[in-house]
Amino acid sequence: MYRSERERWEIRIDKEADIVAVRQRVREIAKEHRFDQFAVAALTTAASELSRNVWVHAQKGIALISVLRNGNKVGVELEFVDHGPGIADLNRALAGGFSTSHSLGLGLSGTKRLVDEFSIDTEPGRGTKIVIRKWKKEF
Amino acid sequence: MDILKLDDEELKRRLAFFELTDEDFRRLTALKPFAERWTNEITEGLYELIMGQPESRAFFPDQATLARVKKLQNSYFLGLFSGSYDLNYVRDRLRVGTAHERIGMPPKLYLGAYRRYLALIHARLQDHFKGNDAEASKALATIRKIIFFDMAFAIDTYIAAYLETMTRHQAAIRELSTPVIKVHDRILLLPIVGTVDTQRAHQIMETVLVQIVEQQAKVMILDIAGVPVVDTKVADHILKTTAAVQLLGAQTILTGISASVARTVVQLGVEITRMHTRSKLSEGIELALSIVGKKITSKKESERGDA
Amino acid sequence: MPSGPIPILKLGSTLLATIHIDLHDTVVDSFQNDVLEEIERTGSDGLIIDISALETVDIYVARMLANTGKMAKLMGAETVIVGMRPAVAATLVRMGYLMEGINTALSLEEGLEFHTRRSKMSDGMGDA
Repeated sequence: MYRSERERWEIRIDKEADIVAVRQRVREIAKEHRFDQFAVAALTTAASELSRNVWVHAQKGIALISVLRNGNKVGVELEFVDHGPGIADLNRALAGGFSTSHSLGLGLSGTKRLVDEFSIDTEPGRGTKIVIRKWKKEF
Repeated sequence: MDILKLDDEELKRRLAFFELTDEDFRRLTALKPFAERWTNEITEGLYELIMGQPESRAFFPDQATLARVKKLQNSYFLGLFSGSYDLNYVRDRLRVGTAHERIGMPPKLYLGAYRRYLALIHARLQDHFKGNDAEASKALATIRKIIFFDMAFAIDTYIAAYLETMTRHQAAIRELSTPVIKVHDRILLLPIVGTVDTQRAHQIMETVLVQIVEQQAKVMILDIAGVPVVDTKVADHILKTTAAVQLLGAQTILTGISASVARTVVQLGVEITRMHTRSKLSEGIELALSIVGKKITSKKESERGDA
Repeated sequence: MPSGPIPILKLGSTLLATIHIDLHDTVVDSFQNDVLEEIERTGSDGLIIDISALETVDIYVARMLANTGKMAKLMGAETVIVGMRPAVAATLVRMGYLMEGINTALSLEEGLEFHTRRSKMSDGMGDA
């Protein structure tokens, strides 16, 4: 599996409008690579949730978007990095509730259900890095 | 080229992996006179092999075809020494591969022919460089690189053809396994038959939602009589689909609930009591009709009404 | 008059708000404000929010829509959300977000029908 040099985008998140910018870029890329409408929605919604987390909790961060290839498979990888407060109780954040939860809880657990791969690296005081991947259905 | 995702970057990667450098390109261009001098003989030599084996001979049934193909082979050979190895070159090579794949020539014959090609070129090269073994070696090494480079594309075309077939088949299978039927105006029915794993469940939800919007259906009947095992996972999938249907503004009726499924579901504590459910499909259809403001009456009744 | 970019039309005693753009959070806030102020100003008892143009609805937006419905209800207006796209519905459900307490309809037409039926019913109750 490898990441193409050409197909890499970086979007700074330091104002509220950047959430939409990330969302739109992700949508363009997913559509360009012919992901189906459900996969496009999953990716853009995940991107929206995670960008929003960066904006709301850290006010500043970065979104890295890459196109991945593994043989004939195509995938999109999104990485969100911030040096915000970090997540104190990660297990609780990932467990998430249904409908009644606060923004962070359901956002993370919900996002996890939309993608194929999800990894999170966080430490209170240090910041947070979340990487998600979604692969296009092969046929 | 699309299905194989061949673009400039991929081309660069391949040229690097096959170690094709500017020096190779210069050498190939310099060998153009050699190629022009020997192309006919080499082509003849190649087809001697092909026509000498019954399996490969079958692909060239008449003289006209053979003559045409030999001509194409000559231009293919000369192409190796063209000096320009960009996406146009690639496109051209892919076309050649596709032509062979289309007539049904198996890769083994295609690759066997390439082997013969190299042998024929090797023999002529030694003559051409008249005893200068070092130069002959370098030339052969370069030609071998470009030939293998081409072979990779040839194999890719076979793969592309199979991928395309697979894609079509998968689409057909998906359609067949989620047959949404229009029972009546604004009423759709999906009989689910067979095991429902996560992938299939996703497929079902997506098909159901798209059909509801396309047909502007008010009711979706999901019949699960044909689902052998209804455990918490399957029940969860059904619940999710129902919830999504409701978000669109339509309703779901679950039918085909056997006694054992009813037992299992309640014992598992799954909350499907909020949904419309019926044991028999016919009951589900009647309920669906009443939801859209219609009902089934017997002919005698309606005739009496007319009279 | 609405301060934000989302137009709000009056159709009889029902308001129709059509969301036609990708929603920035600030637009989301002004939208909610505008809708509630219009309900107050016109005394409408029905609200239709058309989201058929929305390709992405994340939890923030979904929550806003549901809350708008609740707020409108407090002011005596019933809300119907129409035109949700299949991919949006699937995504919300897959995330585990249940939009509780909202009415939905397939199309604007159905949304209007919903309100007509509702007024007929409440008229009926009035008589009784």
